[in-house]
Amino acid sequence: MTLHRRVAITGMGVVSATGNGTAEFFSALLSARSGIRLLDINFPTGMENVVAGAIDFNPDLHFARARLLSMDRVSQFAVVAGREAMAQAGLGDLDTWSRHLAPERFGVSVGTGSGGAGSTDAAYTALLEQKVARLRPLTVVLAMSNGIAAHMTMEFGLKGPSSTVSNACASSATAIGEAFRQIRHGYADAMLAGGAEAPLNRGTIKAWQAMHTLAKLHTDGAAASCRPFSIDRTGLVLAEGAAMLVLEEWESARRRGAPILAELVGYASTSDAHHLTQPEAQGQARAITQALADASLNASEIGYLNAHGTATDIGDLVESNAIKLAFKSGADKLPISSTKSMHGHAMGAAGAMEFIVGVSALQAKQLPPTAFLNNPDPRCNLDFIPLTARDCSGLRAVMSNSFAFGGSNTVLIAKAA
Amino acid sequence: MNSDLIALFSETFGISEEKLLPDATLESLGLDSLAVIEFLFQIEDKFGIQLPDQATPPRTLAEMMKLIDPLLPTDVTAA
Repeated sequence: MTLHRRVAITGMGVVSATGNGTAEFFSALLSARSGIRLLDINFPTGMENVVAGAIDFNPDLHFARARLLSMDRVSQFAVVAGREAMAQAGLGDLDTWSRHLAPERFGVSVGTGSGGAGSTDAAYTALLEQKVARLRPLTVVLAMSNGIAAHMTMEFGLKGPSSTVSNACASSATAIGEAFRQIRHGYADAMLAGGAEAPLNRGTIKAWQAMHTLAKLHTDGAAASCRPFSIDRTGLVLAEGAAMLVLEEWESARRRGAPILAELVGYASTSDAHHLTQPEAQGQARAITQALADASLNASEIGYLNAHGTATDIGDLVESNAIKLAFKSGADKLPISSTKSMHGHAMGAAGAMEFIVGVSALQAKQLPPTAFLNNPDPRCNLDFIPLTARDCSGLRAVMSNSFAFGGSNTVLIAKAA
Repeated sequence: MNSDLIALFSETFGISEEKLLPDATLESLGLDSLAVIEFLFQIEDKFGIQLPDQATPPRTLAEMMKLIDPLLPTDVTAA
């Protein structure tokens, strides 16, 4: 017999350009408030203004200086988001919670695109620009992608399975899906799952600029620069941040009286096997269909879809077509939004951040809009909830799409508790 | 203990100088073995000295200072 246990979501935490803390984050999105701004970056060729989802973050408010020596910015975001999620789940104190949950059965699953990329950038700067003879001794542990998961296990005393998923823009959605399976199939009773990204360093920004996919500064101001599904879109906006969720086996969560925010019911992951940067509607539609089957839901039962919606021409068009393929005649009636218009594209953290948007919508029965969608692209003719939030009292199930460079497609589904 | 080293230690780890007593263990000050190595590298770079390899890393602040002090140039502030 296959073990098939239910999985509860009992805590969520967010660090983002639109707000720190899930409540502030979601409230900003409902108000269509963008956190995207201009960031001054000092390149060797001179200062440049870069449009980015950058966070005002003072690490000294969260960590002792000695600890920061071994923590890249990406791990700092992750641990702060993890603290919020653990506290909400009533797991703030290890001595208390370990009476109800075995730390050996509590794991970590983290998605990240480029891990400690800021530390890698700093190391190359020191070596090639400042011409130092040797690097900081902690360079390796700062830069390694699984440093994030390692910091999470140490911070919270989690001794169960640990894994790091690097699936580009789908990283944290996949990390959540795999954590879901760890619990569903009995390898763990609880998982802290999500993603983190800190890509706003010189090397990463220059690499993205070279792909010609970054949004230009909009005439209405930097905040209005990310315009998914809009005819006047110019590209994606790089963002930093982290988002973490506590997932728990349903009965165990109930027994310890945990707040059950929603139930994680569906996950699917597919590959296009097509192209490194060009997405494909069939592969995406297959992920949507498989996630619905995994959740034992009909397409008509999904009341809100948080789209991947990066605001690239091909990405928006292909996703619209994938939704039409998977939802068929129901696609027209499905409320969809891309909240990247406000928090930007947090890369490896995006999937988790946007899944939290979906779960928050389930709880609040309110759907955040796609900001700045004044002039929809006629080829993307679906209900993308333009400009203003919407009440949705009957909301029972939500879906979150995450589609990555490399052709990796991940879809998650949550149901009201 | 050398006041310049104490000041550098205080600045690097964000710990006020009053707490930096000679017998304080590095662990009690929140430093793990990696943080200690990071600090010793900083000392070497700042003062242009090379510390001998240690079979056993220093345990207390006084032990760490004893390792560094004799190798420092006379006028450390000029370094």
